[in-house]
Amino acid sequence: MELEFFSAAFLSALLTIILIDLVLAGDNALIIGLVARNLPKNTQNKVIFWGTFGAIAIRATMAILVVYILAVPGFMLGGGLALVWIARKLLMPESNTGASHLAKAPAATFAAAVRTIVIADAVMGVDNVLAIGGAAHGSILLIVLGLAISVPIIVWGSQLVIKLVDRYPSVILLGGAVLAWTAYSMVVREPLLVAWFEAHPATKLILAILIFSISLGPWYSARLSENMKPLVVLLPALLVWMLAFEVAASVWKVQVDYLLARDQGEYLFEAVRWLGWLPLAAAFLWLREQVVKRSSRSARA
Amino acid sequence: MRLIDRSPRAANAVRTVSPGGELFVASVVICMILASFGDAVDPMLFGEAGLEFALFDLGGEFSVLAMRHWHLLQLLLAGGVLAAGITILRVCSPAFFKALRPAPAGGVEKVPIKL
Repeated sequence: MELEFFSAAFLSALLTIILIDLVLAGDNALIIGLVARNLPKNTQNKVIFWGTFGAIAIRATMAILVVYILAVPGFMLGGGLALVWIARKLLMPESNTGASHLAKAPAATFAAAVRTIVIADAVMGVDNVLAIGGAAHGSILLIVLGLAISVPIIVWGSQLVIKLVDRYPSVILLGGAVLAWTAYSMVVREPLLVAWFEAHPATKLILAILIFSISLGPWYSARLSENMKPLVVLLPALLVWMLAFEVAASVWKVQVDYLLARDQGEYLFEAVRWLGWLPLAAAFLWLREQVVKRSSRSARA
Repeated sequence: MRLIDRSPRAANAVRTVSPGGELFVASVVICMILASFGDAVDPMLFGEAGLEFALFDLGGEFSVLAMRHWHLLQLLLAGGVLAAGITILRVCSPAFFKALRPAPAGGVEKVPIKL
């Protein structure tokens, strides 16, 4: 789909890409510093140049690949689900902000240093490229613009980004929300599911709330009191339950609208759908209480 | 490692975010969910129930059902307006309720006319 240049849709997609670039930008400078710290001074300069060049080249290759990969049926759904996990991980409070696990040991040679930098950037950039691919709606121009924005961030803009997110941490929350919104739009656009979503429009709302409740879980979990914490699990579980019944009804061709139910089996199906989750929720709450009691008892002991 | 992990405030954004910023993002999320609601509801359903006037405004631009066509920019603007509205309500509502509260029966200000 090609978006009209400078239309609201185009500018919105561009803003989405900029936000994703800001919040998911990898710390390339740190990786280069860690890898090249034991090399001679003149080799270090070469490693900085070729490491940055390799990082940009791998990012460009991945960006081109993601356009074609997302066009394959099934990958849009997979990408959307991956984005939910990425958004959740983004909002998860970090306890360890120390050295990167991707480049713990310094490299002994120039080739090893460049290889480590390129691999580290590929690993760090997968989420970024995937999110940009989903937000670009297949527009090559937007992919190129996304790349043009992420490359200066990789090379020069790290301090600027750090200052911005340090001053306004709400940018991270907004980034998480935008990632969840992108994930929702990717799942809804999945070619294998488009017809099903058109036949079951109400499931789109369930899906949207499910995606937001999972992605933004760490955020509202931090605000909930201890008694309300089970909601973080119960709300998504209930939505998955509802969604599963919609899917089951489509697979087994069962009537899911109780007003249109015809026989006893369909009424029973409806009863299980609307009330069946209650004993499961009660069992979860009881189990959780037992675990909390046991852990507090062992802490006291 | 991501760039944001270099800033302790950004890495713990859910704890360090300002109330204003949090309200703005929450408003944007509400607008996004409303937009998906518009996407999920068949307008014909409401037409059959005679509720079309309850859900559509005159131009059909600002109703929940029309939000299905909104892009991120529009959702951000709507979120900003919603957050500003909630902030104004939070600031102004105590003054409104204070004016409604009766003065104490024996209070000097019971009759606000100074003789």
